Amino acid sequence: MKLRHALPMSAGVIMALAGGAFYFAGAGLTAADHLDPPGRTNPANDATPDKAADIADVFAWHTATDVNLVLTFAGPQAANLPAVYDPNVLYTINVSNASPRTTPNIPIEIRFGQGAGSNNFGVQVRGLPGVTGAIEGAVESDLSKDGVRVRAGLFDDPFFFDLQGFRDTLSTGTLSFNNQRDFFAGQNLTAIVISIPRSRIENGANLVDVWATTARFGGQL
Amino acid sequence: MTRTYSSAFRRVLVTAPLIAAAGLLTACFDGDDANQPPDVGVVPTPSPSPSPVGFDVGPCLNQVIPGTGGVTVAGAVVPDTLTLNLGANAGFPNGRLLADPVIDVTLAVIFLDLSRNGAGTLAGLPLNPPRNDVAFPAGFPFLAPAQGTQIMTSPGSGFAFRTNDANAYTRVDRMGMPAVSTVLIGSGLKNNYNDVSPANDVAGDFVPELTAQLTGLTNALADDLVGAGLTPCARAN
Repeated sequence: MKLRHALPMSAGVIMALAGGAFYFAGAGLTAADHLDPPGRTNPANDATPDKAADIADVFAWHTATDVNLVLTFAGPQAANLPAVYDPNVLYTINVSNASPRTTPNIPIEIRFGQGAGSNNFGVQVRGLPGVTGAIEGAVESDLSKDGVRVRAGLFDDPFFFDLQGFRDTLSTGTLSFNNQRDFFAGQNLTAIVISIPRSRIENGANLVDVWATTARFGGQL
Repeated sequence: MTRTYSSAFRRVLVTAPLIAAAGLLTACFDGDDANQPPDVGVVPTPSPSPSPVGFDVGPCLNQVIPGTGGVTVAGAVVPDTLTLNLGANAGFPNGRLLADPVIDVTLAVIFLDLSRNGAGTLAGLPLNPPRNDVAFPAGFPFLAPAQGTQIMTSPGSGFAFRTNDANAYTRVDRMGMPAVSTVLIGSGLKNNYNDVSPANDVAGDFVPELTAQLTGLTNALADDLVGAGLTPCARAN
């Protein structure tokens, strides 16, 4: 694997501690990406948090036959709450399989749309390699076209982490984790799952880079 | 300085298996469910004193993550993308599986001298819960079903999707590696960080911020790591 970048040694900036406890500027941490950036998505920091556009996690892994992509959002939330499908949010899973690795050669766009009823929602996925047009269909159902599988729906939040322990660690300067305490246990979120034949993504020995973005039509809330 | 640890915490830290190869990290959490992990909770000291020295985190950022074919910590977080080497085994930091203990691995590679303590050191304890509270299905859609009971959407058709191009939308959020934006980008730069692209990461726009945040954390936690028998990657100034 070829290295492209290394942080300069001279970039170190020492933050002297003033007093016993310290405040870490990133202390709005809630998890992998849940409720970040807090000024746009965290109710504790924003009067109009954009829950639908709040990325929780991105997962990407390969098997002998497929590359699987999972984007989770709008969580964690209590188990009695419904999924979040917002037609004004564009979800993009960016995939780069060629140089430069920061240019998305395969931008996969996901949109939600409402059906005839107030509680009817569908999902549309565009930009899938080897798929003619888009994959469209109802949420909470397995969709398949041209060898690609898609499902959008409400799921268990797959992330596990002692959030309280991390917050305590930040506020006290003392490691305070408890591996019996999972903040995300028993909570759900909304997700899109995409399984693509590996041959559609693999480009020789090139590395594959994956990242996700969300954007809102009409501007931020 | 003196820190107060539970004896259990010190014991599991000093006896934790050191897993040097990141490619073997999945072994840390695919263990026997019957073996409940030890509680490594620590009673925080009410008024910790400041660390006596500052640290240079350059050695942390430039150390190679074992088993990745030469990827440094800096190279793993800049650009902020999940990177898949399809020729190697899948599993964080080579991509990210649902079951990967990404926080424990991330904390290990940014805080510990990986030549002394493997990338799987904290996951081997584990420091955080080692697995999801419910099992993941082996096949598609891979995620576990929603818990509880809620109003579900009903099947339908004739869905109305927006047809606007991507440039008609305003960015809200971006994510690649877990916890990079949340842990290593301070509140003053969070919106900017989420507005730009991995190309800006490569251009070095956030290098000073990443370094400063890691330095602040290291200054506060290095004595805890040393007290637990671990070797920080940072060097005292």
